[in-house]
Amino acid sequence: MKKTDKTTQVWLTLILLTLSTYTLGYYNYSGSLVVLLLLLTAVIKGVLIIREFMELKGVSLLWKVMMYGWLVIICLAIIIAYTMSQ
Amino acid sequence: MSEKTKLLPGDFAIWIFIFAELTVFAIYFVIYAVVRMQNVEMFNHFQLTLNRETGAINTILLITGSYFVVKSVDVIKQNKIKECYKFLYWALVCGCVFVVIKSYEFYMKFSVGIGLDTNTFYMFYLSLTLFHYFHVILGMAILLAIAIKAQRGSYDSNNYTGVESGASYWHMVDLVWIILFPLIYIIR
Repeated sequence: MKKTDKTTQVWLTLILLTLSTYTLGYYNYSGSLVVLLLLLTAVIKGVLIIREFMELKGVSLLWKVMMYGWLVIICLAIIIAYTMSQ
Repeated sequence: MSEKTKLLPGDFAIWIFIFAELTVFAIYFVIYAVVRMQNVEMFNHFQLTLNRETGAINTILLITGSYFVVKSVDVIKQNKIKECYKFLYWALVCGCVFVVIKSYEFYMKFSVGIGLDTNTFYMFYLSLTLFHYFHVILGMAILLAIAIKAQRGSYDSNNYTGVESGASYWHMVDLVWIILFPLIYIIR
């Protein structure tokens, strides 16, 4: 039961974060701070999916580095590209 | 370091496949961001022509599909076979609705003559979302195969690697969309 409750909590958090992303888009907010906020939201969502849904909590360090590294490198590259073109 | 290192859920080969897929998407995302640097005005202008509502609904559908997939893995570990395939079918319903909505989105663009050669923004929007769309369909085919196998009694609390492998692939499809949605539809 405990695991199921945690899954529901993660699902709800992901839904709320999606709605916050949509809201920022709805009002057409732009600028470096908004880009940072949107990508930070994407990172949090990604970490929740990798850790809780994909069940990579406790697996070898190599796989953690590969998966979280994928997420962080993409978001960093996007932040740099968008900040440079502001 | 007191905890023992856990093995990857599912088959190891699926993880190699998942990482290869993630790498391809990563390259695609970074190229999008770099090309946009030279065409900021155009990308910002045409981004506004996209339907953010359907994009957000589709995000919720993929996340909810993933939720059902997690539950299916959770219950098969408790030997609840019937519940397992029921959750997998619910995940498939989420996938089907995603495909219908995304097809409608593509139809709306193609019907007004928008294609891969319209401009650089649409080239990225169409190719990236189509590429992801085919992954959703593949993910659904995998989930359907697992659901049918589960219904036939091929999985139980001692044998659920297949369920975990399919679940991991589906989560990968979800993970990619988590970046794709803000990148293509929202960030400007």
